[in-house]
This record gives sequence, structure tokens and C-alpha cells, in this order.
Amino acid sequence: MSAGHTFFSVTGLTKDFGGIRAVDDLCFSVEKGSITGIIGPNGAGKTTVFNLVTGVYRPTSGAIHLMGEPIGGLRPDAIVRKGIARTFQNIRLFNRQSCLENVMTPLLQRERHSFVGSVLRTPGARRRQRDLADRGRSLLASLGLEPFASQQANTLPYGLQRKLEIVRALATGPELLLLDEPAAGMNPEETKRLAELIAEIRERFDVTILLIEHHMDLVMNICEPIVVMNFGALLACGTPDEVRSNPDVIAAYLGKGKKSHDASAQG
Amino acid sequence: MIMDYILSVATLAGINMIAVLGLSVFTGFTGLFSLGHAAFIAVGAYTSAVLTYYYYVPFALALVAGSAMAGAVSLVIGIPTLRAKLRSDYFAIAILGFGEALRVLLENLTITNGARGLPGIDSFTTPFTVLFCLAVSVVLVSNFLRSRWGAACIAIREDPIAAEMAGVRLFRTRLLSLMVSAVFCGLSGGLMAHYLSFIQPVMFTLTQSTQLLAAVIAGGMGSISGPLIASFAFIALPEALRVAQMWRLVAYGLLLVLIMVYRPQGLMGYREITSLFGKRRDDGRRER
Amino acid sequence: MFLQTLITGLSIGGIYALMAVGYSLVFSVLNFSNFAHGAVIMLGAYVGLALATKLSLGFGLVLAGSVAGAGIIAVLNERLAYSVLRRRKAPSLYLMISAMGCSVFLENLVYATIGSRFYAFPEFFGRQVLTLWGSSVSLLDMGAFLFALVSIFALHVFISSTRTGIAIRAGVSDMTMCSLMGVDLNRLIAIVFLLAGGFAGVAGVFLGIKYLVYPTMGWVTNKAYIAAVIGGLGSLPGALAGGLILGVVETFVSSYVSSVLRDVFSFSLLIAFLVLRPNGLMGQDTEEKV
Repeated sequence: MSAGHTFFSVTGLTKDFGGIRAVDDLCFSVEKGSITGIIGPNGAGKTTVFNLVTGVYRPTSGAIHLMGEPIGGLRPDAIVRKGIARTFQNIRLFNRQSCLENVMTPLLQRERHSFVGSVLRTPGARRRQRDLADRGRSLLASLGLEPFASQQANTLPYGLQRKLEIVRALATGPELLLLDEPAAGMNPEETKRLAELIAEIRERFDVTILLIEHHMDLVMNICEPIVVMNFGALLACGTPDEVRSNPDVIAAYLGKGKKSHDASAQG
Repeated sequence: MIMDYILSVATLAGINMIAVLGLSVFTGFTGLFSLGHAAFIAVGAYTSAVLTYYYYVPFALALVAGSAMAGAVSLVIGIPTLRAKLRSDYFAIAILGFGEALRVLLENLTITNGARGLPGIDSFTTPFTVLFCLAVSVVLVSNFLRSRWGAACIAIREDPIAAEMAGVRLFRTRLLSLMVSAVFCGLSGGLMAHYLSFIQPVMFTLTQSTQLLAAVIAGGMGSISGPLIASFAFIALPEALRVAQMWRLVAYGLLLVLIMVYRPQGLMGYREITSLFGKRRDDGRRER
Repeated sequence: MFLQTLITGLSIGGIYALMAVGYSLVFSVLNFSNFAHGAVIMLGAYVGLALATKLSLGFGLVLAGSVAGAGIIAVLNERLAYSVLRRRKAPSLYLMISAMGCSVFLENLVYATIGSRFYAFPEFFGRQVLTLWGSSVSLLDMGAFLFALVSIFALHVFISSTRTGIAIRAGVSDMTMCSLMGVDLNRLIAIVFLLAGGFAGVAGVFLGIKYLVYPTMGWVTNKAYIAAVIGGLGSLPGALAGGLILGVVETFVSSYVSSVLRDVFSFSLLIAFLVLRPNGLMGQDTEEKV
């Protein structure tokens, strides 16, 4: 990364679905090593931004840059290789596979393997798979999931499924990790522990984190800066205190800041 | 006499099992459905038969060439349809259309002797050849499924979007899976041509493709042993019960409906036969 | 020569359109390709055949009988093979495979019980030939073509202006909403299959008279399916247009290029449309049920 580049930025990002503008000329940037939060009322276009950044949708116009490189409009798997990983609002695991297999899949995709060697299962290929399995296990262990390594993913309790999704995202070796409502469906106690976990992940894996969240206390505690979206456009951007006292933000939430927090407890 | 009969039924079942094994890579493990895989069997059968019949190519080489040709032909239909990310039923129909088009072509080419078929192909295929090919195929397929590419296939079956986010190349992986399945169907075709010593385009119809799919679905998605058992049963049971061919097809059709209605995951859905004997399929299968 | 080819093409296209309507009707409501339609057409032809040869009925009664017979078969087909899947909200692919199973089952059941013999209808129209602008066209083809036009138009009027028709269209756009509004979904779907089956009965009789009656005669419905895809699955005007277009194009290919390549060409057309224009010429955007 050369000096002068912002770590990650979107500029003039716009997405139309038919006649509806879901994201409207959005600009914001993310500092390396930060935990940036995106908040906004339901339907503000937050998840659409994630889908644009990760290549699930193609932007109608605008640019996305990671470490000075344009990535807008690339295929999702190419964007993953550039160093962006994500989790989903409604968990999307490889349900009928074990936890270890869920993590092994991204690990395997990162390496070059000889096709012939793999299909003939040469000693070299076996050794590499063994090494990868060990790495998968230690990744699982880092979030306390090692005891469940051989358990089928969809049989895990909800909270652990969320964690497993984070581990799978980390296994792609990301620079930037996007978390889409990681605390959805969690109670205040669990949310607090999640906040600690997110901070810990940033340190341990040296990743930058961009997250969408409705739990205001989570966002206000660990995110800086915070990006506020409304009707697909940028409404405000700044430190938690700045955002909290911004009259536009207050108007957008119509003084419902507290209420929307309560409502989000049901996911 | 009776031994010969049993052996011939088992041999035919083995040949069929290789094709079903191929299709299960594509359908059971990658989650894409095909109503045209009989076309790849036809390509393998005709390629290898033409090679040994007209050009006296050694049998083993002809088998390899037949498989390779089936793999190459699969790209012709695979590249446009998989790139377009068709909805899954349209994709199955596109392959159906391809299979029918190919069959009509075989009925009209001179080198394939048209609809009358190729008689008098040397019967090089022995029960031992089939057993050997089947064993090798099972090993290769299960190794493939444990590899980087197999993991990618399974991830796509489970959730294509999440798979892409795990770094899986959607188009390439699906195409590879189609090619692998076509190669094994081609091998099965080559063995079949040199066992029956007669092939005819009418042997590779939509009904044939439906039977293959029925075996994979009945045996169970995401299982190797299930479809193999099912395809063996599909060939062996009617023989043992001495059922006429048309009643078999009546039963296949009914079975397909019943499975879709009552048990879409199939007999062994997402499990292997070994898991029934107390040995749980755990992470151990990945490294040891 | 050109005009003759065009007229031959249109008359084949009329029969394709009659068959394609059934695919489109079912697709418009349940969003899947009902491959059992070909088998229903075949059964319709056998019903008509039985009425014509065993009871020596006239053409009108034969047609009515086979419409009723095929209609009932289609409704039973839906009840037995699709309704459970539909209620479970299974992917459209499962419905399609179930339909494929039905088709294999019914074709071979007829094969196993009635046999593979080819049967001919009694000659209703003789071999009369009309002469139009110096080209000849058989009375049967002319009748089939006109009948296709009139009946598809009637169906279109029914769908767009009667109460039931409007309910069907509402079902197309939103099934859940429809059931919330108190529309009886099962009755509605039964009507759709009754209509599709009725058209299958007509098509079966015309096909049986033009060609012959045999268990795999439903194969030709693959062509009708292609026609439905060309026109846009789910669209009735599309089914008519697709049928006529395919009929004409096919006839031109077989008379000017090669008759061997005709079917290869049609199937390539199917693939091309699925890949490049899956909604056909007149279809609307449809989302796959996942």
C-alpha cells in the first residue's frame, strides 16, 4: 500500500433497482485498522452497500477502492482474493458440512494445488491437506469453536453459527472484514461479549472492520467513525459523539434512537 | 449358465454405476440437475467404438479418448449455459435440448451409421475391466471431492453466494464439475459399447438421462454410496424379478414422483453407507 | 414454393401453439415446466381414439370427449404429483422432475398395457385439399390452424375478463396474497390444469389425426415446449406467436437447408433462447422459487 492512498473508499456509489435508487451517490472512506460502523433506519441501503462492495451486485455508477486498487464491478471471488470478506445478515453457512469443512473451503481456495496430485492423492497432497486441517482447527480454536470441529454447521446454536461465519470469513485472509448485523438476535449480555470479540479479532488478525448494526450501544462503544445512511445517501459521518448530536441524524431517527434499539433486539 | 447370466447383469450394472457416479458429482455434490447426461454416454460410446471399429485403436486408448471427448463436448453446452447462470430448471432443460440435438445428429451422421446403429463392435469389455474401472472411478471421484475443487463444488451446492464469498470461482467450478461428470459418463459409454458390441442412438434418449437422474436422486444427494447402490438395484432387481423393460420404466417414473413428493433428499441423503455402521463421518475424512 | 412453405409452416405452428398453451398456462401460475403435458396430450389422443373407433362418434363428440378426458387427467396429475410439493413451497426444479417422472410413468404405462402399436383415427376430413393463392393446404391443417387461433383467443378473453380468469391472473402475480384475499387456491389451480388439459385433448386429437396415435407421440410436444420458450413461458399470446414462428422457421429450414438439421436447429434455438433471452419474446420477468 503506497502512501497517500486511503485504505478503503467508496466514491459516488449508486445502485438502481428498476426505478428505485437503493444507494444514492454515497461517499465514505475507512481508515486502516479502524472499526467503522454503518447505521441507518431500515431500508437505508446498508446491506446493499455490502452487496456492492463484495460484488454480489454491480454498481450502477461510482467507484470502490481497496488499497488504491479499483474493485467495483469485479466478481465476488476476485474481490475476496483482493482482501475483502464478509458475513451475512441472515447466516449463510455451508449447512450440511462440518464446522471444520466450512473453514477448510476458503483455506483450500487460497492455495494452488496440482489437480492430478489431488485426484491421485499423492503423499504431498495429503500432507498439504493435513496442514490445512491443522490451520482450520487453530482458526476454529481462536474463536472457541474447536470442540465443535466435526459437528454439522446447522446443528450449532445460533450464536455459534454467527461465530463460525466470522471464522469462515477470516479464513479467506481478509484485510477488510464486513460484518452485517453481527449482533442480530443477541441479548444485551451476548452483545457485550460480541463487542469484546470484535475488538479482539481486529487485534489478533490485523484486520480492518466495517460493520452494520442496529444495536446502538454496540456501535457507540466500539465503532469510530460511524457512517449514517438514510434513503441510500450519506447523512452524516463522524465520531459517536458527533453523530449522536447531529441534528440531521436525530431527525432521521425522529428521536426513536432508543426505540429502534429495543426493536432490533428481536433481530 | 446361470453364473454367466448373473455375471452379465452385474457387468451391465457396473457400467451403469460408473455413469451414475459421474452424474452424482454434478447433481449430488454440486447441486445442478441435468436431463441430458445420456448424451455424454453416447459421445463416449460412439467415440471409442468408432476408434476401435474403423481405426483399430487399442481398447484402453479408445476408452480414454471416449472419456476425453465426452469431457470436451460437455464444454460446448457448459460454457454458454453455466456462464449465463440460468435458473436451475432452465439449465436442466438446456442440457436436455443439447442431448436431443446430439442424438438427432448421431441418427444422421454416416460415421455412426445413422439410426441403424453400429453393429459388430469388438467386445473387449470383460467383467474384470468393468470392476477395475469402477474401483478406479470411485477412488478418483472421492479424492476429487476431498480436493480443493470438490470442496468448492460442495460449497456451491450448499450456498452459491456464500461459496463465492469463500473465494470459490462459481463458473469455473461448475464447469469443472460438469466436465468431470461427463468424463465418467464417457467412460461408461465406452465400456458399454464394447460390452454390448452394438450401439444405436435410440439407446441414449431422454428416458436414459431420466434413469440416471433417478438413480442419483433415489440414492441420495451428496452421497457416493447411495447412488451406486440405487443404480445397482435399478439394474439387478428387475432382472432378478424378471420384469419386462417397459414395466421398469413405469416403476422409474413412479419412483421419481414418489421421491420428489416424499423424500427429496433420497435414500442416503447427504450420508454414506459407512455412517450406518456406527462410524460417524467426522472431520477425520479430511485428513486421514 | 415460398408461399406453400409458409402455409405448411403456419399449419404446423398452429398445432404447436395449441400444445404450447398448456405449458404456458401452468407455468404462469406455478412457475415450472410441466413436462407431463406431453403425456397428457398422448392420453387425450387415446381417449379420442377410443371414442372414435369403439363408439364410432363424430368429430365434435370425439373432440369434446378427449377435452374432458385429458382435462380430468391433468387435474388428477396435479393433485397426485404436484400439490404436496406446491404446498411445501418446493423449488420449481422439484416440480419439474416430478413432472418428468409422470411423463415417463404414463408413457410406459400405456406402452405396457395398450402396447406400442400405431393406431389411426377414422378419416374425419378425408384428404380434401384447399387451394389458396395457388398453394395447397389440407383441410385438416386449415381446421387445426383456425381452431388454434379461435380457441387461444377465447382463452385469452376468458383469462382477461371473467372473474375466474382475473383470479388466475392475480394468482400469477402473487399466490400468497391471493390466498389471503380468500381466493380458493386449490380450486384455481384445478381450473388452470383443467384448461391446460382441455387444450391437451384438442392437440392430442389433431396430432392423432395428422400423424398417428402411439405411446411416445408426446415427443413432439418437446417442440411445443420450445415454442412456449420462444414466445415467453407464461404468456398466452407468446405461446401462439412462438408456435407459429417455430412452425414456419422449422419448415423453412427443412425445405431450404436440410430436413435432417431441422430438429437440431430447433433444439439449438431452445438453448439459445434459454441462454440469451430466457423470458422469450413476450414473457415477463420470472423469479425462480428457491
